[in-house]
Amino acid sequence: MTALLDVIGLSGGYEPVQIFKDVTLSVERGACVGFFGPNGHGKTTLMKTLSGIIDPWAGRIVFEGEDLAAEGERKTRRSRNLNYDVLVRRRMDPKRVARAGLIHVAQGSTLFPDMTVAEILSIAPAPALAGGRESDEGSVLQLFPRLKERMHSKSRFLSGGERQMLSMACGLLAAPKLLILDEPTLGLSPKLRLELAGAVHTIRESGVPIILVDQDVEFLRDLVGTLNVFDHGSISRRLSQSDIPDHETLMAELFGRRVQ
Amino acid sequence: MRYDPPFHRTNGLWPTLILIALAAVAPFVISDSYTRHLLILAFMYAIVASSWDFSLGFGGLFNFAHGALFAVGLYTYALTTKFLAVSPWLALVLAGAAAIILAVAIALPVLRLDGIYVILVTIAVSQLLYQITVSQSDFTGGTSGVVSLPGLKIGKYPFIRDGKIGYYYTALALLVISTAFLYAITRSRLGRAAVALRDNKFFAIARGVSEARTRVLTLAASALFTGIAGGFYGSYVRVASPDVYGTGFLTTILSILLVGGAATLWGPIAAAFLITFLSELLVDLGPWREIIMGLIIILVVVFYPGGLWAFIQELREKVDGVRTGVTATYRRKRGKTAREAMMSGAKESYIRTLHGLTAISDSGGNLPALLLIHGNSACKEAFYKQYAALKDRFRLIAFDLPGHGVSSNADPETTYNAVAYAEVAESVLADRGVSQAYVFGWSLGGYVALELAARENVKILGLAIAGTSPLTVVPDDFADGYDASSHLILSGKQFFTAQESYDYASSATAPKSAESAFMHRNLPRTDGRARAYMMTKLAIVNWPRQMRRLWENAFPFAIVNGDNDPFLNHDYIRRLSSAEDWPHVLIEIEDGKHAPFFNKPDEFNKAIVSLFAGA
Amino acid sequence: MMDASTFVSVLTGGLVLGVLYSLMAFGLALVWTTLGIFNFAHGAFIVMGAYIAWQVGNPDGFGLGFWAGAIVAVLGMFVLGVVFQFLLIKPFERKPNIVLLTVITTLAGATILVNVINVIWGPRSKQISLPVSGDIAFGLFRISANEAVMVVVVAAALAGLGWFLLRSPLGRSMRAVAQNREAAQLMGLNVPLLYAATFGLAASLAGLAGVFIGSIRFMTPNLGDDPLQKALVVVILGGVARFTSPIYAAFLVGLIEAFATYYVGLYWTPAVLFILMIAVLVAKPEGLFGRRQRSV
Repeated sequence: MTALLDVIGLSGGYEPVQIFKDVTLSVERGACVGFFGPNGHGKTTLMKTLSGIIDPWAGRIVFEGEDLAAEGERKTRRSRNLNYDVLVRRRMDPKRVARAGLIHVAQGSTLFPDMTVAEILSIAPAPALAGGRESDEGSVLQLFPRLKERMHSKSRFLSGGERQMLSMACGLLAAPKLLILDEPTLGLSPKLRLELAGAVHTIRESGVPIILVDQDVEFLRDLVGTLNVFDHGSISRRLSQSDIPDHETLMAELFGRRVQ
Repeated sequence: MRYDPPFHRTNGLWPTLILIALAAVAPFVISDSYTRHLLILAFMYAIVASSWDFSLGFGGLFNFAHGALFAVGLYTYALTTKFLAVSPWLALVLAGAAAIILAVAIALPVLRLDGIYVILVTIAVSQLLYQITVSQSDFTGGTSGVVSLPGLKIGKYPFIRDGKIGYYYTALALLVISTAFLYAITRSRLGRAAVALRDNKFFAIARGVSEARTRVLTLAASALFTGIAGGFYGSYVRVASPDVYGTGFLTTILSILLVGGAATLWGPIAAAFLITFLSELLVDLGPWREIIMGLIIILVVVFYPGGLWAFIQELREKVDGVRTGVTATYRRKRGKTAREAMMSGAKESYIRTLHGLTAISDSGGNLPALLLIHGNSACKEAFYKQYAALKDRFRLIAFDLPGHGVSSNADPETTYNAVAYAEVAESVLADRGVSQAYVFGWSLGGYVALELAARENVKILGLAIAGTSPLTVVPDDFADGYDASSHLILSGKQFFTAQESYDYASSATAPKSAESAFMHRNLPRTDGRARAYMMTKLAIVNWPRQMRRLWENAFPFAIVNGDNDPFLNHDYIRRLSSAEDWPHVLIEIEDGKHAPFFNKPDEFNKAIVSLFAGA
Repeated sequence: MMDASTFVSVLTGGLVLGVLYSLMAFGLALVWTTLGIFNFAHGAFIVMGAYIAWQVGNPDGFGLGFWAGAIVAVLGMFVLGVVFQFLLIKPFERKPNIVLLTVITTLAGATILVNVINVIWGPRSKQISLPVSGDIAFGLFRISANEAVMVVVVAAALAGLGWFLLRSPLGRSMRAVAQNREAAQLMGLNVPLLYAATFGLAASLAGLAGVFIGSIRFMTPNLGDDPLQKALVVVILGGVARFTSPIYAAFLVGLIEAFATYYVGLYWTPAVLFILMIAVLVAKPEGLFGRRQRSV
């Protein structure tokens, strides 16, 4: 039995700048894997590559035994000015990734500002239906009761926390086999953080495997089996739950000391 | 800080002078007045398109009333000469002034808008002007325009005589002056402010750039010669017709601009000639001409959005790559004996890795190995004094980095970065059968050495760096670790002029003398891409890991700098070294420069020997 | 002063123009909000639609009748729109300067279309024959049966579109892609398909507009310049916040045009519209009926 998700030697970035290199990662069924790392070191880029928003430069993404990225790798671009977007076939299709059940809840997404919550929730199960999975709106709304009250508000009138809830609700409605949560508590008030952290715990308890990216070490420690420390475009360490130190120690180990 | 030498110190000087000279003698070769007519049109298009490039390419303002600026110049010429009997020469000046006034008027509604909205409002302005022009048919002749305008003349000599030679030189002179003006202004405070606003509006405003003022001035600057060109056009064709407000004229100028390359200034000038003559070749094809021109423009923009100027740059890069590659091959074949003699008889050998062919100089013997890694745009022979002095104490191994010395050029994307260089260093040591070594890295080589140590594939007996600031957070620490006022700024520049080559070699090693001449000769061989491509891989170098290895004190380490090194911020390194628990020494060699092992070999060798002997 | 019957006839004229303009502007606004670009080929699409309808419908062409012509024009323009999107817009989807690059590709595309029309049909003017004749009158209101047909068809088309965009899953997906491409991708929506469909839909609306314009005016290959300008004015005045905003603005522009023509004459009418448009852009760039949505 292979793992749920196998990432092998993945490299990528935004042309022409390479952001991450040679990332190898395996997520078992039922596991929760954490990512921690400083800002601007490529966590979000890596997650966007996993979900096919941007193409990987090299490497494989195998989800449930199926290769999500087409064969091949980014060749050296001989010309700096040719429009390679029309010359190179895309290796990944985000639609296919979502339909396969690898669902990415993006960091601080504004979703669709001029659509109502109800409208957005009505199109959210699309990948589940296309992938032949059941989508359970009842339990999702139970998890985020606040959305029920805001059903007919346009999403741009939602607060940051509500918007994040809507994002996560959309992710859940897609009936994920693996859920990527990119900084779900970013920029929220302490009270809302707690509420959302609670929701993540509930999702976790329901057995959905999660890749959780966050800056809050305590939050991660409660949830994840292994924590990947991601800096300078690669996973520099893998810590098991019991080995996770506190935030200061982790950052100090990452950066050492700068010249004052 | 951007490196920005005056025009006469750049590589562009000679090509420009030659092209101007060619254009100046062309009428003596080209006598038929139709070709001259096309050249005059091309000069005019070049003026209009490059002026537009300043506001659209550099300023990021999609001013689609640029055609209207031209039209206003044209009508100003027509009306002032025809109804006010103003002299044609003065009318040209008035045409420029009128265009500036219109530009300022356009700037007002544009101040609050961005992107598509600017396109829309400027289209509206130009349609409005068209309507006004057409409606005032008493003066403007309505849709048929103002006809039989006076032409340019000096004294009694009309410029139309002798195959339009007067117009030819006037147009050429206008193009030269307009280009000089635009070149100067792109390099002025205004030009930089415009680019800053385009690239990051809010950051620029926060840094004190006035958006309103910059936009007004940008549009005014792009209007000046556009208006004059409009006036000139009126004096040349002697008709002012409202067609110039239409999309046809605008599309022509826009395609010249985009086929040439936006924000390049020179690209649109080159493309003006290309498009004018191309379109002329197809003139017999009727509507097919428009179809073919449309297809060509679409093909260029779709497949090669950088345009003509980017193509010229890429061509230059290819030619330079071939030149440096051939130089390296030639020197590999011919100068080997001389190099071996210079390196005190150490044998030169080659290995082939993923990063190309690498030249190694190994003094051999059963001594502890000392790997010497040279810096940016240098070569392994930089260490010849160490080979002479230290070969009885160490087995000296040096190699030419890819793209340097007599190593081959390599794939710039994969190879020209510190990580790949460290891989090459590992291959070199493996090839020489060395599993543990002392390492000395100079400048860029210092980072290669630090990366080599951080990778932990090779046992490091001791490490020294010179002219390198160890960094933790890149690029933030970069600004602190180096002195930006030096010629260091050249270290990332792809193409050097002779002067720059001399400056860089002089600062990095020594001013040209009998003993340093070989370094000056070697520098132009370096593949310029090796300097330019480094930046694309900064994010995947684990800088703190390099620093962590140093704090761990896993091997003897020293920074050996010349106290006169022009590139370094010595204060940064002294702060680092004086930190309480920094476990390493800082050796500053008195009167040493960026290459202390070259300027002060005796002091340097003594320091290295005592450092590594103590280990 | 105008008397009551003149007033009503000017008013009617304005409303009819408004119907036509809303059809022309809708497609332009749809592309702008969804793809974030301005399609300068919209006017050429209108002309192309008119010529296709003429070729299929008119006795001098295949002679299959007005309605066959209209249907072929709408379907044909959908296909052409999809092709256009694929060739001229899709290549820049991931380029930061897509706005500028698509300005030149759509301008060049429009030039090509207009000249292709010129090559195929020649520069002589043509007119689409009308399906019905006579006038319809309600008291002082009096419009030709043709205009009545146009009003009915356009109203049906726009109502259908409104239902489609608001209620149907595909329409909602289109709006979703328009508002946030990346989030739509993450939701597993077929973004390339939706972009192509949006552009195709906009082109077929232009085609339909062309059919009606071709039946009330004489067609020449350059017919499209004026509709493009009008559509532009409408879109700017109304803004693109809601898909209904350009429709309101279309009626406003139609009425202004009708009354301005009456009061200040044909020559000055465009100037009035452009001054109004500049004023709106300066004072309220998001349009009279909307919130600023995209700052590209």
